[in-house]
Amino acid sequence: MKKLLSNSYLLFFCRITLGFLFIYAGAEKISDPSGFSTSISNYKLLPIYTVNFFAISMPWIELVAGILLVFGIAVKENAFIINAMLIVFIVAISISLARGLSIDCGCFGKGNQIGIQKLIENSLMFFAGVLLILYNSKILALKVNHSE
Amino acid sequence: MFVLNFFNMSVNYKNIIAIIIVSSTIGFIYNSLNPKGIPLIKEERILVFEEEQSEITDSDLTDTPVTERNEIEEQIIAPSEGNIIKEEIPDAVREFTKPVAIRLSRAYQLYNQGVIFIDSRSKEEYADGHIKGAINIPFYESEKYEDVLNKIDKNEIIVTYCSGEDCDTSILHGDELFEKGYKRVYIFHGGWDDWLETGYPVESKL
Repeated sequence: MKKLLSNSYLLFFCRITLGFLFIYAGAEKISDPSGFSTSISNYKLLPIYTVNFFAISMPWIELVAGILLVFGIAVKENAFIINAMLIVFIVAISISLARGLSIDCGCFGKGNQIGIQKLIENSLMFFAGVLLILYNSKILALKVNHSE
Repeated sequence: MFVLNFFNMSVNYKNIIAIIIVSSTIGFIYNSLNPKGIPLIKEERILVFEEEQSEITDSDLTDTPVTERNEIEEQIIAPSEGNIIKEEIPDAVREFTKPVAIRLSRAYQLYNQGVIFIDSRSKEEYADGHIKGAINIPFYESEKYEDVLNKIDKNEIIVTYCSGEDCDTSILHGDELFEKGYKRVYIFHGGWDDWLETGYPVESKL
């Protein structure tokens, strides 16, 4: 099992997919800051005065982490950041679903409603992130972690 | 030293903090330079209900001296596009500054006047049942429904609604329509749940 999961092609696939997904997600949000800010506030989880701080910074963290992942720079660290965000997303979506809110996800810009599907997507991405933290992805990486 | 190490997992948290700080800084710089940038502190979107709004304006009017009051009344009536609309629809005295929220009773009143209802919910929900005569423009795919929307005159009174009080698409949709130039947009706060409960006219399918 371990051998299968640490397969270098699988890790490469995870890294590139996760990277591009986050680049896309980040870029989409950067292009529509007020839309994303509305999306966050619709979750009704954060105090209103903190919403825009997240709306301004989070897309850029996503974008940078995504780019670094694709280039294979500090893969574990970026996968860690991405997973931390994914946990937040999963918790936020679960709470909103439990409260019966039917709101925009804000995941990839406008046009996605929250639902079980989003939870599954996020969980898959989280799983890919875990693999990247656990094992070293070396293919086409500019810089492999020293820790090995 | 700065390496978290448990299981096989080794993550340098100094790097993590660096990446987060640098990206956030870029974000804040970009936002301040971006013409579409947002304020650091968000303003809350408060639904203004029609009752509240008229209360405010009424009290404002009575507080002001008579001469000023006339001016204000002139201002209120003058900018609306001629009196033609006013004669047709007596409610439309004031120009809206933003979409106005309404509750069930008012929604029903408007319904009886033959006002356009826009269902912001998904196609499936609409097919299951909707306010009789309502037009379905799912908010999440509103781009696909441009031609449906274009048939509606900008001077028409529009009421948006979604599933109930906990949904936001009617509000978002209302705001979007208002920005597009629809002058009198109402947001029916109770939405489909309230409507269904009272047994007002509904229909399913198309």
